Amino acid sequence: MADASGPPAVAAGGGTTAPAAGPAADRKETGPAGPGGRPGPGALTRLRRGLATHWYAWVMVAPVVAVIGVIVGWPLVRGLYLTFTDADESNVERRIGVNTIDASYEFVGLQNYVDVLTGGHFWDKLVWTVVWTVSCVVITFVIGLTLANMLNRKVRGRSLYRIALILPWAIPAFVSVFAWRMLYNERSGILNAALEGGGLSAMSWLTDPFWAKVSVIAVNVWLGVPFMLIAMLGALQSIPAEQYEAAEMDGATAWQRFWNITLPGVRSVSATVVLLSSIWTFNMFPVIFLLTGGGPVGSTDILVTEAFKLAFQRSPRDFAGSATWGVLILILLILFALVYRRALRQQGDKEGAW
Amino acid sequence: MRRSIGTTAAIAALALTATACGSDGDDAGSGGDGTVTVTYWDTSNETEAKVFRAVAEEFAEGRDDVEVDYVNIGWDGAQDRFKNAAPTGEAPHVMRTEVAWVSDFASLDYLAPLDGTPAVENQDDYLEQAWASTQYDGTTYAVPQVIDTLALFYNKQLLDEAGVDVPESLTDIQDSVDAFEELEAPFYLRGDDAYWFLPYLYGEGGDLVDADSETVTVDDAAGVAAFQAVQDLLDSGAAITDTTDGWESMMSSFGNGDVAMMINGPWAINDARDAIGAENLGVAPVPAGSAAQGSPQGGWNYGVYAGLGEADMSAAQEFVAYMSSAEVQQRITEELSLLPTRSSVYEAESVAANEMVEFFAPAVEVAHERAWIPQANSLFDPLKEEAEAMLLGRATPEETTAAIADRYRELLDWQ
Amino acid sequence: MTVATQSTVPAAQTAGPTGPAAPAVAAGPAGGGPGGTRQRRRGERGPLASFGLHLGLLAGAFIALFPPFWLLVTSFKPRSESFSLSLTADFSFDNYQYVINETAFLTWFGNSLLIVVVTTFLAVFISSTTGYALSRFKFPGMRSLMWTLLITQMFPMAVLIVPLYNLMSRYGLLNQPVGLIVTYLTIAVPFCAWMMKGFFDTIPVSIDESGRVDGLSPFGTYWRLVLPLAKPGIAVTAFYSFVTAWAEVAYATAFLTGEQNLTLAGGLQTFVNQHTQDWHHMTAAAVLIAVPAALVFGYAQRHLQAGLTAGATKS
Repeated sequence: MADASGPPAVAAGGGTTAPAAGPAADRKETGPAGPGGRPGPGALTRLRRGLATHWYAWVMVAPVVAVIGVIVGWPLVRGLYLTFTDADESNVERRIGVNTIDASYEFVGLQNYVDVLTGGHFWDKLVWTVVWTVSCVVITFVIGLTLANMLNRKVRGRSLYRIALILPWAIPAFVSVFAWRMLYNERSGILNAALEGGGLSAMSWLTDPFWAKVSVIAVNVWLGVPFMLIAMLGALQSIPAEQYEAAEMDGATAWQRFWNITLPGVRSVSATVVLLSSIWTFNMFPVIFLLTGGGPVGSTDILVTEAFKLAFQRSPRDFAGSATWGVLILILLILFALVYRRALRQQGDKEGAW
Repeated sequence: MRRSIGTTAAIAALALTATACGSDGDDAGSGGDGTVTVTYWDTSNETEAKVFRAVAEEFAEGRDDVEVDYVNIGWDGAQDRFKNAAPTGEAPHVMRTEVAWVSDFASLDYLAPLDGTPAVENQDDYLEQAWASTQYDGTTYAVPQVIDTLALFYNKQLLDEAGVDVPESLTDIQDSVDAFEELEAPFYLRGDDAYWFLPYLYGEGGDLVDADSETVTVDDAAGVAAFQAVQDLLDSGAAITDTTDGWESMMSSFGNGDVAMMINGPWAINDARDAIGAENLGVAPVPAGSAAQGSPQGGWNYGVYAGLGEADMSAAQEFVAYMSSAEVQQRITEELSLLPTRSSVYEAESVAANEMVEFFAPAVEVAHERAWIPQANSLFDPLKEEAEAMLLGRATPEETTAAIADRYRELLDWQ
Repeated sequence: MTVATQSTVPAAQTAGPTGPAAPAVAAGPAGGGPGGTRQRRRGERGPLASFGLHLGLLAGAFIALFPPFWLLVTSFKPRSESFSLSLTADFSFDNYQYVINETAFLTWFGNSLLIVVVTTFLAVFISSTTGYALSRFKFPGMRSLMWTLLITQMFPMAVLIVPLYNLMSRYGLLNQPVGLIVTYLTIAVPFCAWMMKGFFDTIPVSIDESGRVDGLSPFGTYWRLVLPLAKPGIAVTAFYSFVTAWAEVAYATAFLTGEQNLTLAGGLQTFVNQHTQDWHHMTAAAVLIAVPAALVFGYAQRHLQAGLTAGATKS
């Protein structure tokens, strides 16, 4: 679902890269901004002073803190707790209309984690999820940057091209996916009709495990390119024209200009965009759920669709197992984000890091 | 600015209130004026739904204190949807429950026991087989609606043109491949639904599990032979299949005359007639395997949600009694050719004269009863998924049955 | 930076035969003999390169447009022609009539609208002050809040869906618009707060300072001076959280059950599944969902890039 939320987050991500003038202006007041929780005689005084200085900031963030605490924090803690139990559909609390059956699941310690991590299933899905994420992001990025470069010139009908190219973004993903299902239909879909018309043999787009993987990636790329395109177009336009002019005077080839000016110029935006698309793609539910339902033979199920199935489609419903998958997915994502950030830092790109 | 933010907040608050009110109305239950609205979730297909809706809504006619809210939900997600709704008090009063779901729902306490309630009228009139599917743990949790089984649907004209008799066995179909030169294949083999694999399994004398001895039997010799038979049909060019969108592909292949035969149930009669012409549609028993001729017993029951208050419960029970009455069953058979579950209905003239009933009634009588265990429906996913691997050429019949059996043993904790 | 300003971008970016887009695959080969064109003056392009550029863009546009186009075309065909290759076959509006009159489509539409509008309003309302505080002040707890917001945005739905389902079940919120609104707020609030911080960052701090000089409290400054300037940012934030919630599938599939309570994402699934394959009705419903969405998007899209670049490019 995050796909649609694309650019804003870029703005957000980009925003954080902007030198936050605000904090600097205020920094003097704060002094050492350590949390005032250290035990000791000074703690209370510090808290009081903190309140006096920061009460307005705290009031301003209070609604969000409260809301996140209640609707994210609480379920998260509960979800964590479930992963240490054997909760499934037959032992959780059920409010069957006038009858209520109390929860009777039991604490099982780390058993769920042991089961998930020692079985091959999770690892199989993880491998495919990584392949899926990397392919989608790389292909989308290359196509997005290419098209952005093409659009970023004097071309007749440019605004028409632009509108056409971002159309996939304008349509809710769950609608487009159904359109693709029709096109992919093995027996009567238009893709196979076109192939056969061209003298080629029809493909098992969604029924052969390999081609199904290709197909879901293609659809996700189709959905993701507009966002990349817009983000990259923005980045390209922020590169000063003088740089190209100067380079050309020095006799730089087109390739050199691209390598030495364009790429560095879009680097900071790319860093953010790639990180965000990676996370979104990793969590991309609707494309796979609606296009193949994870099939054939579960070959296109990524971690999140499998976790969903465990809790809501497989019978009996394994809530504890699904929650365990969810927690592991989250840990993986956080690790990824940390590593990514460190890698950027090491390359000396302070702007790209938060 | 201040004002507009205030307005925004007011609108948001209003909308929330509206939301809260709206949702109250959706709750199943009695209104303040003593009127009970019976919510009925129907899973029938588009053609059937028109009739079932009309029939269901007529229940409220002549009753001041009852209304019927007919809701058609897709068969595909129906089990999941009911399972989502039931533990949260959001389930309908009455649910059209597939025969294999009854014990699953009942084991989770989602269905109300119906023994000795008004919902069960004239119990002895029900076909024994149909009644068996309503039992869980010695208690009645549902009332039979329709009973069905699979049969061979064939295109009379195509068979005539090819000069082929209606096949009685899978071997007959394989032998006839050459006669159907102009077709893609003589036979469409449904590859994406576990239910459609059962005739092959029964045809070799096998079964998924043996509930009495609590053993998994799908990987015995008969099981392997059944999957081998499926493989042979495809390899010999006698059959085509798909691992997704099988229903659509099957119906369109049959309707377009790309294949001459398919296996299907009474629910497809009207659609098949529309597609190739009523006079052109023939129905015969499923082709036999090497051991027997066997087709699974299927059908639908009415289940009553366990979480109903007194007034709702008695209205729901009356509704079920009405829907499963002989009159209503007869009417449904007349309009849809579905098979009644009451023996008395078969004696009605209009029913007895129905060509499809004439055929299906004896077929149902010999249909293979499935193990009515809570996991009955959970047996289908592993079967479908592993069979898919075989159809895609990634597993042999032995590997397939072994993989299915492994998953069954894990699921059931049986031998 | 809007479309309008794009076209006036200095010729620099249209530079060279293969220009900065040398690796642009489609343009590459058509650039034809780069050696020969290297002498060309800036801002010009060989006919071959132009041709290649148009070819690439046309191909892209075709791929982008075809699936929705085919959806539209199919929606006017009867069931039996759903997969026919002709553009029109028995053209009629029957599918639309059926979807609107015989299904709960309008109810789903209303459900979606209600849920998404309320979610958006609440999320923007709750999170705007936080965005401001994060942008302007340095306070104890700020760092951890930033991290919380960031990590919450990475949350896979898989981590919350089970506990939310269980909690909602306990409080009777499943199958209710309120339940889904609360669920969507878990996504929208962190996202909006994070994004608005980005927008507030682009508003010069001198505005705040002038407010303080005038004796306004931090709240007064925010309310009277900064917020009005942030209107475009708020609009873009709202738009994105709207779009996100509008297209959500997983929670909607698991939390809503009764036909009358579905959102569009759930409703559309009822047309095509393992047992029913009413492609003809599905396409009509899909068009009815996509057209308003695309119109809203088209209206908003020129502001999107503005919002995007406002955050992404540094002044």
